[in-house]
Amino acid sequence: MQVGLKVWRFDTKTAERALKEYEVDAPEEATLLDVLDLVKDKVDGSLAYRRSCRMMICGSCGMRMDGAAVLACKTRMYDVAQAGHVPVISAMGNLPVVKDLVVDMQPFWDKIRAVKPWVEPGYEAPAPGDKENVVSAEQMATIHKESLCILCGCCVSECNSMEANPDFLGPAALAKGMRFVGDARDGQTVERLEELSEPNGVWDCTRCYFCQERCPKGVDPRDAIAKLGAEAIREGIDRDMGAKHAKWFVKSAKTTGWLRETELVPKTQGVVRTLKDVKFGMKLAKHGKVPPPFPPHVAKDVDESRSLHDIVKKQDQRGAQGIVQGERALGRIEPHHDTYAAAAERGPYGPGSFPKPYLPGEEGEETT
Amino acid sequence: MRVAYYKGCLASLSAKELDISTQALAPKLGLELVELESVTCCGAGDIQQAEPDYYLHLNARILAYAEAQGCDTLLTICNVCTLNLRQANFQIQKDEALRERVSANLSAVGAPPYSGGVDVQHFLWLIAQGDGYEKLKEVAHHGLKGLKIAPFYGCQILRPSKLLGVDDPDRPHTLEAVIAACGGEAVDYPAKVKCCGFPIIQAREEMALAELIQPIEQAMEAGADAMVTPCPLCHLSLDAWQQKLEKQTGRSFDMPILHLSQLVGVAAGLSDSELKFKRHVVSMKPVLEKLDV
Ligand code: SF4
Ligand code: SF4
Ligand code: SF4
Ligand code: SF4
Ligand code: FES
Repeated sequence: MQVGLKVWRFDTKTAERALKEYEVDAPEEATLLDVLDLVKDKVDGSLAYRRSCRMMICGSCGMRMDGAAVLACKTRMYDVAQAGHVPVISAMGNLPVVKDLVVDMQPFWDKIRAVKPWVEPGYEAPAPGDKENVVSAEQMATIHKESLCILCGCCVSECNSMEANPDFLGPAALAKGMRFVGDARDGQTVERLEELSEPNGVWDCTRCYFCQERCPKGVDPRDAIAKLGAEAIREGIDRDMGAKHAKWFVKSAKTTGWLRETELVPKTQGVVRTLKDVKFGMKLAKHGKVPPPFPPHVAKDVDESRSLHDIVKKQDQRGAQGIVQGERALGRIEPHHDTYAAAAERGPYGPGSFPKPYLPGEEGEETT
Repeated sequence: MRVAYYKGCLASLSAKELDISTQALAPKLGLELVELESVTCCGAGDIQQAEPDYYLHLNARILAYAEAQGCDTLLTICNVCTLNLRQANFQIQKDEALRERVSANLSAVGAPPYSGGVDVQHFLWLIAQGDGYEKLKEVAHHGLKGLKIAPFYGCQILRPSKLLGVDDPDRPHTLEAVIAACGGEAVDYPAKVKCCGFPIIQAREEMALAELIQPIEQAMEAGADAMVTPCPLCHLSLDAWQQKLEKQTGRSFDMPILHLSQLVGVAAGLSDSELKFKRHVVSMKPVLEKLDV
């Protein structure tokens, strides 16, 4: 089959960038990586990208196709070519570009290192002659998904919080953090949770779910971050405004049933900071955006949600377990994507069609 | 079509205009809304992150009350409610042991049990495809006179796609389809699928504003007269926090923000008292002048 690609080339020395179009003849089972190999082999040897294993395990080949981070070796090109679509290939986002499709992974590794990705033993070694310690299957299940990470960086590429704050630890490092927080052998659980709850950690995540959508290995980093939040709150680590915000929702649900919106701001930010924002609040109040606190809006039969809270507490599926228990069920659902043919039918650049190469700075002149 | 109606907290409180316009619109679209009196907040992702097992039970209780009303569809009008409810629903539907425990707990507190027979659907999905879309085209005959509308999806109606499953997460089209049916012109811009920053607007205001400015600025550059969103949380940040952006940047945006139900409502000829534009922070006047209403 004939496969076309438009590749954003980037030359670090001259800082020049250009969108180059290539077309090669590739076998029907070819992946994006196979096509790039063909281009490099037959058309342009100067094209730079990373790869090693070619089988979705080394994590080297993360790049963007039409603005979405993918593993090149996992992405089949048959449907794309059949629909006559020529996708735009570019380097991953939120990391500096070195050349063409190669990014500098150093900031990524620094963040992974910052979460101490090793076990700090917190168990008694068995006495000589005693049986070895066993980690139960249930304990392992807590961090099963987090253990699947291949450190490819696809989750980081479109992370909206990292765009807004480059110091945010980000989905991969936080998922790695959960990998060790949830490790039964680790003895630093509370210390880790304290550190991960600092600014740039758990409570910086804006829940855009790009990481969850992009991860090629099913790690679901956003869920890992939720697990960390639940574990931190279970340990009483709730200094951060994000944690206070989350706790106020629980309080609202079991007292009035509905969110006590007016009190949310002072409960989250504290009274002093709230007062500084009085003018803003008054403007909102004028438009009915601040409902009066009294009488609180109370749901019918709210005692049921209060009793549910008591029961749930007794059954003790606390912290991360409350998320882990649903993982098997959710693992049975497939991601949803329109076929390229369906998108092609809607027209080349019309609503819901293929995205333009319109990531920041990528609208430049087309050259061939 | 008879559907259980879950409006969520915001539409009961600070975004009442969303509830009012949805209720006014529903009969025209052939939707009979069954109000659920006993339900609570879905937890907005916050309870899921604080006490996940409690989140699951709260959402199961909402689904149970819908089922008890004999409805097989639960209609939502908020992205975040949609994701929370669908996620809990899948967990309960696909895991028998979990369903039994949760259902027993619901019964123990006097709520109806839940057998898993309800499907959670956002209002957008009901009117952007199939029979609903045909109905919409009939109803929206007042048109939008070619008004340029920037669709803003927000995150949690697109991602994770496996839990939402209607729009392609990177090539969504339902809002554009609705805008077209209403006689408006959809403008295109990259940040339409990105986050508005709402979940961290209190805890990390600076970061949230750095996210919020992107859709508003890009919609403006694309020549939009107004933006439309299917989520009251997105609406709150786009509309109410816009003034913070103006203060921060010293620029004026004055970008009117419509709830989805208001956009359709205008095209369907709803009255002022049903649209309640006065409740918005950013004035809707320029839009209404263009439309001559
Ligand atoms: S959900 Fe959080 S961590 Fe994941 S991409 Fe969005 S902001 Fe980043
Ligand atoms: S979490 Fe997924 S996307 Fe992120 S680095 Fe690990 S494998 Fe890659
Ligand atoms: S998401 Fe919100 S508005 Fe929607 S019900 Fe839940 S808390 Fe409320
Ligand atoms: S765009 Fe904003 S409110 Fe809407 S789903 Fe994302 S965070 Fe939510
Ligand atoms: S080449 Fe190793 S993951 Fe793609």
